[in-house]
Amino acid sequence: MQTKKERKPIYSILIEHREIPLLAVLAGKSWLNVLKNGSINMVMCCGMLCVLLIGSIDISITAILAFAGAVAGKLMGTGVLQSTVLMFLLGIAIGAVIGAVNGVLMSYGRVISLIVTLSTSYIVRALIPMSWLLGMNKINPTQLTQGFKDSLINHSFLGLPFLVWLAVLVVVVTGVFLKYTRTGRNLYAVGSNAEAAQMRGVPINRIRVLAHTICGATAGLAGIMWLAFYAAIEKGSALGDEMFTIAACVLGGVAVTGGYGKITGVVIGAVMIAFIDSAIPQMGIGNSMITEFIKGILLLVAILLNVILQRIAEKQDLARRNI
Amino acid sequence: MQKVKSFLKSWEFFLIVLLAVMCLVFKITDASRIAAGAQKKPIFYFANVLKSMRPYFLYSFMTLGMMLILAMGDIDISVGAIGTLSVVTLGVTYNRIAGQTENGSPAALAVALLACLLVGSLCGALNGFLVTRFKELFPMIITLATQLFFRGFSYLLIGGDTLTFKDPTFKSLSSLNQLLKVGGLQIPISIPIYLALAVVFYFWLHRTGNGRKIFAIGTNSAATYYSGVRVDRIKFWCFVIAGFMSAVTGIFFVGNSSSSVKADIMDGYHMYAIAAAVLGGFSTDGGKGSVIGATISLVIFGVVKFGLGTLFAFPDSAVNLSVGVILILSVLVPNLVEDIQNKRKVAQRRAETAKLNAAKA
Repeated sequence: MQTKKERKPIYSILIEHREIPLLAVLAGKSWLNVLKNGSINMVMCCGMLCVLLIGSIDISITAILAFAGAVAGKLMGTGVLQSTVLMFLLGIAIGAVIGAVNGVLMSYGRVISLIVTLSTSYIVRALIPMSWLLGMNKINPTQLTQGFKDSLINHSFLGLPFLVWLAVLVVVVTGVFLKYTRTGRNLYAVGSNAEAAQMRGVPINRIRVLAHTICGATAGLAGIMWLAFYAAIEKGSALGDEMFTIAACVLGGVAVTGGYGKITGVVIGAVMIAFIDSAIPQMGIGNSMITEFIKGILLLVAILLNVILQRIAEKQDLARRNI
Repeated sequence: MQKVKSFLKSWEFFLIVLLAVMCLVFKITDASRIAAGAQKKPIFYFANVLKSMRPYFLYSFMTLGMMLILAMGDIDISVGAIGTLSVVTLGVTYNRIAGQTENGSPAALAVALLACLLVGSLCGALNGFLVTRFKELFPMIITLATQLFFRGFSYLLIGGDTLTFKDPTFKSLSSLNQLLKVGGLQIPISIPIYLALAVVFYFWLHRTGNGRKIFAIGTNSAATYYSGVRVDRIKFWCFVIAGFMSAVTGIFFVGNSSSSVKADIMDGYHMYAIAAAVLGGFSTDGGKGSVIGATISLVIFGVVKFGLGTLFAFPDSAVNLSVGVILILSVLVPNLVEDIQNKRKVAQRRAETAKLNAAKA
């Protein structure tokens, strides 16, 4: 019995182990780092949300990111394109085209989206080291104009760099689009019941293509953001990171079966992933490798807890109705 | 006659034709290059291709496990991470027991191999448990989470280091990747092992009731459950087998990678396994596919990579590109053909009813 009294509450770990500067991380400038590192993922999450809403999935986003970044960087490196704004538009356009191809194959070709995007990620990533694009090289900081490199990091507004504001802009636009426009609501309709949506006159195939196009466009935008943030891109950039984008969406409560999910949840999920990525190494827990482990556990616990809570709620509901 | 007809319509036949066309193209290129004087000896002949199949048959075992899961209509994207984790376990266990001794010890290797296979099966069991207990979740999401978990776990075990073993006992694992000389042919050892396993899988999947149940689950899970099949138990064991097969792939992989172990050794391998299985006729919808098709598709991938890589001197990326194109066409073309057939059927029906109506009037 006595042992039970001596047991300390969990939060006392935080008080006793002051060497873990959790509070410092929470209060200090690290938030800025979290936001900076997370904003690229956040932009892709918005596109992924649209795709998940229609019950589809896109794992080619990081390939699109690398491809769009490589094309734009090559154009800037050879001096064809010097305008920063045009770079962003070009990235969005490239991404949108690839996304539209995904969408057409998925909706009109009736190929499962996992297979389609798996193949396009193979194809698009394979295009990068072609001799007409990057060859075996990578884009170096010297190939980019100073204005472009500065555009996202060094310019800031209200204390936040443009990189973060760009992510905020994409989030707001996606949120408004999904909540207040007819087309946006149609995404939910197609995701929850495609046949019913078709009966009601929703052009489901067009909506599907649109969702994939949006996802591709955000991925292309993320590619240019990546290029401006890291000032470098190569064929293996962001390889495998699409899993973290999907993980952020799932953490944010988006149903992979389609038809359910909110932009606010996705934002929280993306911030959580970014927080683990950049804050935990700073807090000095283990090596940086531990972040993967924590992300995995967090995702697993989050999705399982979600199901368990739902089951408990249903059970209580049934008990209340004496069934 | 009926049998021949159904064979001609089957997916396996299409794959064989595809393989034959590819071989023909490569053979002609080979011959024309000799005629043009670009090379002296033929490159593309059976023995040479067979010899070079070694790296492409590495993930064949993973494909066998993936087949089961795709046949049930599920998907497992954690197989690559399971392979990594089991390989890391192998390395860490061996390092702990027989670490830096001069000659190593076979007993330690045996223990490490057992641990490796056990860990692979346990990871599969975790997947299976979660998939059968939490049916509300897609297997894709569950295995996505467990993939991150396994990958993180292997990083936790080994960090960013690379374990390299120099003792001859551990090096003997690389004999799994040597070439077997049989009557003038050089065959990679993994091919006969794979073929033996594939025969077992073929008879299990297509010739026993137990195996047919897997396809039944993929076609209609609920109906299968109500007809008295223990769906959950079969699903669980299929995931365990998939994990086990990943561990087996991992063992082959250690020998291939100059006896060193690191934490990202098999990243992204699930994609190869899925690609091979899908080209072999399996679909994420479930209930389709055959072991023969998967085997042929493995051979096709091997031939494409060999042909493009050595004959056309394509870089690795172009080979990946062709893999992507083949994969997408292999699903798209049958769909389009089906569409056209359906349209033709509808038109035929319409013509018939029009005729009947005309006769009535």
